[in-house]
Amino acid sequence: MKPRHFIFLAAVLSASALAGCGKKEPPVSEAEVKAVFEKSLPSTVDDKVWERVPAHPAKLLLQDMVEPRLLQASTPFVRVQSVTDGRKVAFLLTWKDATLDDVPGPALFGDACAVQLPATTAADVPAPQMGEDGKTVEITYWSAIFQASVNGRKDDIHALYPRAAVDHYPFEAPSLKAGSPPQQEMAKRYAPARGAENPMAGPRTVPVQDLLADGPGTIRFAEKTVSSGSGKYSGGGWTVLLVRPLPNGAQPGGRTQVAFAVWEGSRQEVGARKMRTAWIPLSLGSAQ
Amino acid sequence: MARVYNWQLGREMSYWYPERRPKRQFAAVFDTNKCIACQTCTLACKTTWTSGKGQEYMLWNNVETKPYGFYPLGWDLNLLEKLGAQDWDGGQYAGRTIFEAAQPGERVLGWRPEDIDYASPNVGEDDCAGGVEKGAHFTGVHNSWFFYLARMCNHCTYPACLSSCPRSAIYKRPEDGIVLIDQGSCRGYQECVKACPYKKTFFNAMTGTSEKCIACFPKIESGMQPQCFVNCIGKIRFAGWISRPESARADNPIDFLVHVKKVALPLFPQFGLEPNVYYIPPMNVPREFLAQMFGPGVDQALEAYRNAPRDKDLAGLLTLFGSTEAIVAKWKRVEEQVIGYDESGKEIIRVPLREPTHIRQAFDAARGVARTNVS
Ligand code: SF4
Ligand code: SF4
Repeated sequence: MKPRHFIFLAAVLSASALAGCGKKEPPVSEAEVKAVFEKSLPSTVDDKVWERVPAHPAKLLLQDMVEPRLLQASTPFVRVQSVTDGRKVAFLLTWKDATLDDVPGPALFGDACAVQLPATTAADVPAPQMGEDGKTVEITYWSAIFQASVNGRKDDIHALYPRAAVDHYPFEAPSLKAGSPPQQEMAKRYAPARGAENPMAGPRTVPVQDLLADGPGTIRFAEKTVSSGSGKYSGGGWTVLLVRPLPNGAQPGGRTQVAFAVWEGSRQEVGARKMRTAWIPLSLGSAQ
Repeated sequence: MARVYNWQLGREMSYWYPERRPKRQFAAVFDTNKCIACQTCTLACKTTWTSGKGQEYMLWNNVETKPYGFYPLGWDLNLLEKLGAQDWDGGQYAGRTIFEAAQPGERVLGWRPEDIDYASPNVGEDDCAGGVEKGAHFTGVHNSWFFYLARMCNHCTYPACLSSCPRSAIYKRPEDGIVLIDQGSCRGYQECVKACPYKKTFFNAMTGTSEKCIACFPKIESGMQPQCFVNCIGKIRFAGWISRPESARADNPIDFLVHVKKVALPLFPQFGLEPNVYYIPPMNVPREFLAQMFGPGVDQALEAYRNAPRDKDLAGLLTLFGSTEAIVAKWKRVEEQVIGYDESGKEIIRVPLREPTHIRQAFDAARGVARTNVS
């Protein structure tokens, strides 16, 4: 087979894999992400509504502007669908990924994705790369590692290395009643990031984090994560649902901008090393 | 990148941030000739700081047998190979640092150890550089050699961990130069793990953040030396404060050893971090190996060390190692006594230059028995 034919076939195969076996292909919205108005938002990635919500094929670009950069392209595009109920907006992100990466460890990184919106809807949009000074962006970040712990994987070395042998954890000494407040308090002291209330450290109830940024390198945790989501790996790719509040000034029937990012864990993509989109117009449907 | 001055290289170099030295810089001297690889330091650190979940594999302090010991595997060789052969021009470094050799898109030249690289912390333990021939015995020259290299974070003047962190979650304390990862804002990108040439930051898979040696800062803040220092069986370690060479003071113990006597040298100065743990190099190891590891000052350092029996000041200061838990900020020798003072000038320790020696006869005439060690 000539290489060009091979590429064509690969493209057809990937498109059908993304669509999911036996699922109805949704209509395409080339120019923008259309958030369709629905009275209630879908709560799963398998909701029937996704069969009729227009899909925008968002082209992913290398983050090659600031160090550390990504210099080798990986995930080429992400398919985006969106629904709004006038208060919140849901995004369904679907992309192809040959490897499921949800285990943390040295040199191990999880698959992940994120959606970014200007914190305030205005004609003058922030820079697409994480916003800029005085023009904040709001980000909702989903990680396969978070998803695995929400799905029930224990925060324990044996969940990652089943044959690990540990002699003793001081905070699990027999003299301490398991689960008692003093025991919990002590366990926290032995998990520095948890002690510092870092949302990276769990315990976790949702697989997403709400973040804010005013430019590259300025990302910070929102006061509270109010978004929710869920991700599912099947058919050689991820489908991730992100549900978050509409940002300030984004009205039903109005327009704003949205951007996305995807990290391929097996390629050690993390932080700034990512595939991302430019701003994409987002039209918000209304009840009328 | 900014231009900064690195006195260990004898020249300016490129660094991600401008030069901003702390008010004073935590530093240490390790005498490799006295280390017995008992790992008491490793355990002192482990039990104090890293017995939590996700910290199981972490050794903020470790001791490895050179040339075949590494933790993590090949930490130094991997980077030396990436950096390629580089030269010194006398006391000035003519090669490229890991900041100057950074590949496109990177802030630092580095590599990422995998979990398997941490799986054998005792690899190479007590392995000689060469085979030992049948019938070989010690005749005064070691043909086969090894030595113990005790390692901790160097609380570098130009930390690669700090410069690599895209979210500036790593900071160097202006009051004492201790380098810390802010556990509240780290997002676990592991850029620091990739960048630190000494591999002294570690990813905690349970908390999703990276962690590192904190130089026992609560102890430092109260005038005491860190745990791995005060528990050292071989008394090889000495913690204190280092000045820049031009403001070195002979009554500051670290300055005296590093700047005045030049008996203690930085580990892989060519990487460009201006590391602040200084090593008295081992005497039994080929010079080429030592020069690669400790830079061009090796001959001078060994000469000074060999001369210690005739150099009452140097010998005197070496006797202060492991003599007190407190940080000795100043010292002086008064004839056959060596005195250590704290920050305020208060005497905290006084040791004799030579311990009195008592020779017991092998035969106990009173009891009519030969003495053993316990009789
Ligand atoms: S030794 Fe490594 S971890 Fe320690 S300060 Fe230097 S670069 Fe950072
Ligand atoms: S405690 Fe001292 S002698 Fe023992 S291994 Fe550590 S540095 Fe060496």
